[in-house]
Amino acid sequence: MLNRREVLARTLKGSALLSLGTVVPQFVANTAAAAEKGKDNILVVIELNGGNDGLNTVIPYTDDLYHKNRPTLRQTREQVVRVTDDIGLNAGLRNLEPMLANLAIVQGVGYPNPDRSHFESMDIWQSADPRRKVGTGWLARSGPQLTDVQGGIPMMHVGQGQLPLALKGATSGAISVNNKMPYRLDLGGGSDEQHKARRSLIETLGQVEGSEDDASMLQFVQRRQVQTLTTLDRLQEVLRNGNRAGDQQWYYGRNYGPKSLPNKLNLVAQLIQRDFGTRVFYVMRDDFDTHSNQAEPHKGLMEEIAAGIRQMYDVLRQSGNDKRVRVLTYSEFGRRVKENESKGTDHGAASNLFVAGPSVKGGVIGAHPKLDDLDDGDLKFHTDFRRVYAALLEGWLGISSETVLQGKFQPLPQLMEKV
Amino acid sequence: MADTLPPLDKVDPAQAWQPWQPSDKEPWDLKWAGHLYRRAAFGGSPAELKSAVEKGHAATLDLLLSGQPGAARLTDFLNAEGVKIAKRFNPNSGFGEVKPEPHEVRAWWLYVMLNSGHPFREKMTLFWHNHFATSIAKVTYAVPMVRQNILLRKHALGKFGPFLLEMSKDPAMLIWLDSNSNLKGHPNENYAREVMELFSLGVGNYTEKDIQEAARAFTGWHTDGEAFEFNARAHDDGEKSVLGTKGNLDGGDVVGILLKQPACARFLVRKLYTFFVSETEAPPDALIEPLCEQLRKSDYDVAALMKTMLSSRHFYSGHAYRQRIKWPVELVLGTAKAVAEKTIPQQVFVTRMEAMGQQLFAPPNVKGWPGSQAWLNTSTVLARQNFGQAVAMGNVWNESLPGGPQFAQTIDFVEVEGPGGQPIKTPGLPEEPAPAAAYDPARLIRQANADTPEKAVRVLIDALLPGGISPAKEQKLAAFLAAGDPKSRDRRVREAAHAILCMPEYQLA
Repeated sequence: MLNRREVLARTLKGSALLSLGTVVPQFVANTAAAAEKGKDNILVVIELNGGNDGLNTVIPYTDDLYHKNRPTLRQTREQVVRVTDDIGLNAGLRNLEPMLANLAIVQGVGYPNPDRSHFESMDIWQSADPRRKVGTGWLARSGPQLTDVQGGIPMMHVGQGQLPLALKGATSGAISVNNKMPYRLDLGGGSDEQHKARRSLIETLGQVEGSEDDASMLQFVQRRQVQTLTTLDRLQEVLRNGNRAGDQQWYYGRNYGPKSLPNKLNLVAQLIQRDFGTRVFYVMRDDFDTHSNQAEPHKGLMEEIAAGIRQMYDVLRQSGNDKRVRVLTYSEFGRRVKENESKGTDHGAASNLFVAGPSVKGGVIGAHPKLDDLDDGDLKFHTDFRRVYAALLEGWLGISSETVLQGKFQPLPQLMEKV
Repeated sequence: MADTLPPLDKVDPAQAWQPWQPSDKEPWDLKWAGHLYRRAAFGGSPAELKSAVEKGHAATLDLLLSGQPGAARLTDFLNAEGVKIAKRFNPNSGFGEVKPEPHEVRAWWLYVMLNSGHPFREKMTLFWHNHFATSIAKVTYAVPMVRQNILLRKHALGKFGPFLLEMSKDPAMLIWLDSNSNLKGHPNENYAREVMELFSLGVGNYTEKDIQEAARAFTGWHTDGEAFEFNARAHDDGEKSVLGTKGNLDGGDVVGILLKQPACARFLVRKLYTFFVSETEAPPDALIEPLCEQLRKSDYDVAALMKTMLSSRHFYSGHAYRQRIKWPVELVLGTAKAVAEKTIPQQVFVTRMEAMGQQLFAPPNVKGWPGSQAWLNTSTVLARQNFGQAVAMGNVWNESLPGGPQFAQTIDFVEVEGPGGQPIKTPGLPEEPAPAAAYDPARLIRQANADTPEKAVRVLIDALLPGGISPAKEQKLAAFLAAGDPKSRDRRVREAAHAILCMPEYQLA
């Protein structure tokens, strides 16, 4: 069984990429050292795209105003998954019930002057900058502190589609991975010798030119290509035996396809197990913008979230990797308290989020925003989302949050604890 | 070739948009012909570019802007074909989470892009598709999507006012942005928000109150899925105030108000600049102001604006040359045109484009495809390079619509370990058979009688990367060709073509 350094050396043997010196991305560095203890925790971020209806996710089931405002969408005391005497989870989250002791439910999360535009608000959450002056992502800015000395890939987006803003601007580059594509430069037929010559030509023609601070379009593309080829070599090793099962898989009683959370989180678990040195994984699920006929689709999405989280930990537990992984779910905003005429809900403001994992001290954090004290029909926030980020950066990933968040935010104490 | 370009804030707005005149120092040649065809169309075939250079700049630009004579007559027929094909799409024919895909409709539009005789109009239609980004993922049926596409084509080079008005009544758009839920007393703000934020003014040029009031103005603008329906009972005919104008405003009034805002011209010009001129640097307000003024004074005449933009000195300068990243659709069609001499079976491109991150009729959200650097991540760079392989070797033409054989998986060539730890080489696959001449890059070499490696490389570069590459890189390609077995010269040429299609320069539009 080859160790990581040997694998790396073999796959890059004869590659022109090794001669590129300082412009080669971090993960091609050929030093090998064991990961520092406690510096190998992993954060899996799940983006719920579209504005998840927080009020129907974490439900104040004893509050009359909830039932009054949600005549068709409400869930009853009997339907919800009971967490406390006043708070329950959407029935679709039933599969999270066994994990309640390790599920932190953070209520009233948001930021001042809420923006109800999907794109603006999502940008705010992903850049961690309500003024939207910053064009990079909060996770990307963590990159330099997360770099794996073994030359791993610090951050991965698992899914098709473009890299989310949260991962943009990482100097080492964050990559996107999905298991639908054969992850290999296709050189078709011919001999090994022919392939080597072609590969060498392609690499030579694609070398990065110009200085470090050259901001040209050409250099950007060159960097992207170098990154792609080096990553592929490594990923090829990892995914070769990986998840090549068919497109449809059964998770927790349902059949799910490649765009679903259980499918993506299953792949995340496989990637974690094969030890890429990755510290942050990011997956996204859309369809949360439930303006009409919300009940069934939203419940289905809740089921996906629960099945996905459970599936991921099921796999990780087998290799003993579960304790080093935490999950964060978030959405760009919640939705309006009063349901609309189409049995759906419109864009709102404050919402809630989950932090889950075997290390997490479970429970409800913060009071449920009052349903009779609204901001133009929307829930008011009391916990700045950056306090959640600060807790995960400092308490879980073990890095300083001030430069990443461009300010001091007091980490939420309950999230700093570890069980 | 480091930047001797002045930064954009040093470019003189009074000069930038003046018509460009070819000169001895900067002639009208393959470089600029290729550039114009990449931007104003979907690339030019070697024959088209040769003809363009011979005809001269003015005649070429005119041909692109106006289209081939007879193209207009073809439009109705092509549109009708699109509707017929759309009617055949049944969104309920899938099972479980697997949804059927309207690939035939996508193939239809690709066909129109290649064969309409007016590729510039199709390029504009593509721009508008991304501007009024509407996805079949929610609209569900293909017929309203195709009808919207026909609407985009109708107004692509028209005036923006009537365009925006018709778009506000387009059934696909109304479904997409929940307009049927927009009722008197219970407004749904979705369309009002997006029409300001994304279709006309841009963020920061209106208030939440303007949105709420505009939503009231649009109440009752509904659809039955097939056509626009004004639902009078659902329409709020009270007094409203939008962006400073008061009255019993309806949707049409709101459209008029939007076009009166100075921000509207700026917003549109910026988007057109980014798509047609450069993605590298956002232009300063002062630089685009002459274009904005032109747009306002001409009653938002888009064709006139585009003529100015595509004739200008700025467009034929280093500020624009290779300063965009090709959209997947541009990459696949441009590559096909460069290599294929015969009818291109365009349906093969649909899944290829999907792997590159673009499915026509399904932009990711109402903001559209972000474009530029967002097109390139590990998966999509690989998809582009593997597409290059399939084109160079000629196997891409055998791929049919999904349901048929997909593009081939290949055997791993990385060394594996035997039981004693010694490396074992996996067996090689036989070389691909030569493709038909009409699709064979090696044909270009034969047709040009290129009898040295250097000449052969020049032929390939002129076809694939008009405008050229650095001499050092050309040298490397020539050395590669020279090192090959003379008996398999054609094979070596295809391999060199693939290497060119993998070059970073090739990703630039």
